[in-house]
Amino acid sequence: MRERAMGGYRLRGRLAAALTLLIMCLGAWVMVYPYLYAVGNSLKTRAEFTADKQSLTPPRLRPGKLAERYLLGRPDPEHEKLMQEWPPLRNYREAIIYGGIDRFLCNSFLYALVTTAGSLLFSILAAYAFARMRFPGRDFLFGMLLTTMMIPSVVTLIPQFLVIRSLHLVDHPLGVVLPSFVSAFGIFLLRQFFLNIPAELENAARIDGCSRWGILWRILVPLSKPALITLGLFTFMGAWNAFEWPLVVLSNENLYPLTVGLALFRDQNTQDWPRILAAGVMGSLPLLLLFYAAQRFLTQGISLSGMKS
Amino acid sequence: MSRGKRADWTAYLYIAPAFGLALLFSFFSMGVSFWTSLHQWDPFAGGGRFVGLDNYRRVLAGVDSLFWVSLRNTTLYVVMVVVGMLVTALPLALLCRRVRALQGVFRTLYFLPSITPGVVVALIFYQIFGVFGQPLDKSGTALGAIALMGLWSGAGYNMLIFLAGLNEIPTDFYEAARLDGANSWQEFWHVTLPMLRNTLVFVIVMTIIGAYQVFTSVYVMTQGGPERSTQVLAFDIFMNAFSVAGQMGYASAAAWLLFLVIGVFVAIQMRLLRSRRIYDE
Repeated sequence: MRERAMGGYRLRGRLAAALTLLIMCLGAWVMVYPYLYAVGNSLKTRAEFTADKQSLTPPRLRPGKLAERYLLGRPDPEHEKLMQEWPPLRNYREAIIYGGIDRFLCNSFLYALVTTAGSLLFSILAAYAFARMRFPGRDFLFGMLLTTMMIPSVVTLIPQFLVIRSLHLVDHPLGVVLPSFVSAFGIFLLRQFFLNIPAELENAARIDGCSRWGILWRILVPLSKPALITLGLFTFMGAWNAFEWPLVVLSNENLYPLTVGLALFRDQNTQDWPRILAAGVMGSLPLLLLFYAAQRFLTQGISLSGMKS
Repeated sequence: MSRGKRADWTAYLYIAPAFGLALLFSFFSMGVSFWTSLHQWDPFAGGGRFVGLDNYRRVLAGVDSLFWVSLRNTTLYVVMVVVGMLVTALPLALLCRRVRALQGVFRTLYFLPSITPGVVVALIFYQIFGVFGQPLDKSGTALGAIALMGLWSGAGYNMLIFLAGLNEIPTDFYEAARLDGANSWQEFWHVTLPMLRNTLVFVIVMTIIGAYQVFTSVYVMTQGGPERSTQVLAFDIFMNAFSVAGQMGYASAAAWLLFLVIGVFVAIQMRLLRSRRIYDE
């Protein structure tokens, strides 16, 4: 009797596990479907897309068709012609040639890189002072800095534009990146990290004649590498995805980052969705690759604070 | 600290770059914003005329004001996203924790939307919605469709935050509950949920603050239509400030009113952050 009950228990457990897995797989499908849709449709010819907007694979590239050609060596002349005329990546090439997506990508890369470097540098300096130095007004200034985290960007959008405008930085790359050089969240996080590093190391270094500046860059910064990488990645991602601010501050198309460039590209190619989707895929690929390379640090970062600022 | 009681004046040099920019782009900007909201202001024409609180009156009671429509739509959007987030992200986190073999894969896949630019997401969903019933073309369903997309973008990220919160709950609590004969429902209700309270409040508040500022999806997909059914506050403010001449003061006033709405939630978030002992040493 008892054994049977245990067996039933185990069966129920297995059923529950299977159901859990099933639901998680369904969720994963929902998460991945838009990407598959974008990639699949970005490979379609315009005619293929107009005929069928729903399928995930372009007819001319279906495995059966390709196997027929390359494995069985039975080329279908019509298919051959289509492949000649519309190689798989034609939309990608055209998005670059006609949409200048490569230039937008370069711009985005520069903005994100400079934003990350600038905000890391300024955060390191400020966090060091807040963590290790004693000066009048320290806690008050730190509290003030933290309150900036709470100001929603929608309120600062207009005045930031007016400030940037009076600095004559509208339509200037510096105008895009300058406001994000200060990151209260970054300072907060790094200060916390510095505080957790024991001061004995620094005392030893000081006895050996190391200056404050030297202590920061030779001891604290190398020891904080994981936090810095995580913070840097989140900053980079935020800068790459920024849309509203560059949209406001730039009108010269040559300076557009990818996000704003994509919106423009959509307006210029309203009917040519395979091409638009190709541009979109190219625009999200860099971050996906970065994520793949640095996954460890990102998942750490989420548990580190559970915050995206 | 380590140098006894002497103040370290070089500290000001270290904080100067970050603090200077914070002063300029946060505090000074807030002032500029308020000042602008009191003026009939057109920076492109290069000048302003003091009008007192007239902009606020126009936002709240003007005949052509879209403020109340926008506030209604935005609030509706916020409610849909928050409720949707709670019924997806938390259960997914609870389930994901039970999966052993594929957990890493799921975490990765659910995180993907967070690293995809909002513009790209909006463009893809614009097409997908076009294939599945075209909800963006009908005033009754457009806002819901945009909320669905917002949910898709945020659910995975919040699931990971919930997972992190769940992992912080000491396992002894569960063992104790089991010894007391609690079933899994009671376990969830009396152990998991109370222990997850901070994470829960954090996710809800952050979602509310973010959702009240929804802009990119509306800008890319609907531009406020059809029939103003997706007219949201951030979009209204953006259009008035940067697409209509001479409305920057009006837009600033609207931004301050939106800030008042969000401010409630910001205050909650601030209290929460303080309770996490930001100032501990």
